Amino acid sequence: MKIIGEKINGTRSQVRKAVLERDAETIAALARAQADSGAAWIDVNAGTPADREPEDLVWLVRTVQAAVDVPLCLDSANPAALAAALEEVRKPPLVNSISGERARLEGVLPLAARAADGVIALAMDDQGIPGSAEGRLAIIRRLLQATRAAGIPDEHVYVDPLVMSVATNSDSARVALATLRAARAEFPGVHFTSGLSNVSFGLPARSLINRAFLILMLEAGLDTAILDPLDRELRKALLAAEVVLGLDRHCLAYTRAFRAGLLE
Amino acid sequence: MVDRLVTAIAEMREEEALAITRELLGAGTPPTQILDDCRAAMEIVGQRFEQGKYFIPELILAGEMLKAISDLVKPHIKQEAEVKKLGKVVLGTVRGDIHDIGKNIVGFMLDANGFEVYDLGIDVPPEAFVEKVREVQPQVVALSGFLTLSYDSMKETVEALKAAGLRDRVKIMVGGGTVDEKVCTYAGADAFGADAMAAVTLARQWTR
Repeated sequence: MKIIGEKINGTRSQVRKAVLERDAETIAALARAQADSGAAWIDVNAGTPADREPEDLVWLVRTVQAAVDVPLCLDSANPAALAAALEEVRKPPLVNSISGERARLEGVLPLAARAADGVIALAMDDQGIPGSAEGRLAIIRRLLQATRAAGIPDEHVYVDPLVMSVATNSDSARVALATLRAARAEFPGVHFTSGLSNVSFGLPARSLINRAFLILMLEAGLDTAILDPLDRELRKALLAAEVVLGLDRHCLAYTRAFRAGLLE
Repeated sequence: MVDRLVTAIAEMREEEALAITRELLGAGTPPTQILDDCRAAMEIVGQRFEQGKYFIPELILAGEMLKAISDLVKPHIKQEAEVKKLGKVVLGTVRGDIHDIGKNIVGFMLDANGFEVYDLGIDVPPEAFVEKVREVQPQVVALSGFLTLSYDSMKETVEALKAAGLRDRVKIMVGGGTVDEKVCTYAGADAFGADAMAAVTLARQWTR
C-alpha cells in the first residue's frame, strides 16, 4: 500500500492560515513529517477561492519541494491552478482529480494527460455520487474510456470508488467495497485509491473506523490511500494486515518496522 | 406520564417511543402535547450532540422517530392551525458543492424545532434560491457549503437575492466546513453558524 499524505489541505484551519500568511515553516514541517513517515506522495490542496488558488497552489508546491524530495499530488478542481502548479513540479505528480463531471473531464483531464504521472478518478458525475455500486461502476467505465482516449495507460489511473460517511447511511462502506471489487475485476490494470477518512465523519473515535475500513479495502484490492501518515496506529494495523493478506513478502516490511521500533 | 415519551425519544428507544405515542393517542392526549414532547426531546438530543455525547447517527435516528411519530399524530390533528410553525426556512447546499450531511442535519433540527423547512437539496443555483424565496416568502435563508469554492456561490446567491429585490425581506445564514465570520462577511450574509443548534438559535432569534 502506497500512502498519499493528506495533511497539507486548505480545508484544515491550520493549513489555511499558513497558506494565507505564507507561513512556509508550518507547511515544510508538515511535508517533512509525512515524508519521514513513509508518504509516497504529498497531497497539496490550497483550498482558497478560485481567483487566488493558482498563486497559492504554486506557493505550496515550491514550499513543499524545498523541504522534501517526495513527488506531489496536486489536489484541485481548478484547471488554472493545476496548470500553474504543473509548471513548477520537479517530479511528475499525481493529479487529484478528475471525475465524470463534464467540467473536470474537459478542464483537468488534458492537463493530467500531458504532464502528470497519474490521475485520480472519482466515481461521480454531474448528477452526484451514485448510491449503488452499479451506478458508480458505470461512471468508472466512462472515466476509463476517457483516460484511454486521452492516451493515459490504465496503470497511471487511480480510481477512487468514493466512500460516504457510515454515520448517515450504514451501507456506505459496503457500497465502496462492492464498487472496488467490481471495478478491480473489470479493470485489473488500474490502481485503486481512497480518501478514506470520510467513512467515519460524524462519529467518535474516528481512527478506529478508518482502520477497520482501510483493512477491508486492502483485502478488496486497494493499493494506495489518501490518509494521515502520522497516524501510527493506522500504519501498524496496515503493516499487520499486509502480512495477513500475503502482501508483505517474507514479512519483511513488518519485521523491519519492528526493528525500527515502529510497532510499539 | 408524558415524560415517558420525552425520555424514550431522548434515549433512542424507537419502538418504545412509538408504542407510547399510540397509547397516548388512544387515551385521547391532545396531539399538540405529543408534538411538544417531541420538541422537548429534540432539545435534549441537540444538547447531547453539542456536548459530544451523541453523534450524527443519533440525530438521524431522532429525526426518523420524529417523522414516524408525526405520521401517527397527523390523523388526529383536526385543524392545521394546531401545529403553528415558528417560521419558514429555505435551505440548500450552494452551487458547485454536493456535501449534504451538515445541511441535512440543519434541516431536520430546524424542522424538529418547529420551523417549516424547504430543502432545495445540493448544488443549488442562485436562481433556484430566488425562485423559492419568491414563492414561499420565508423569514430565513440558510446556505450550506463545505468546499471553499462554495464561498463564491454563497456570495452569488446573496447577490441574486439582492438583484431580485428580496434581500431585505430575509435573514441569511451560512454554514458548513470552514465557514466563519470572514466567509459570512465575504458572502454578504447576516450570520454564520458552527453547527445545527446554532442554526436553530439564529432562526429563533430572527423569527421572534
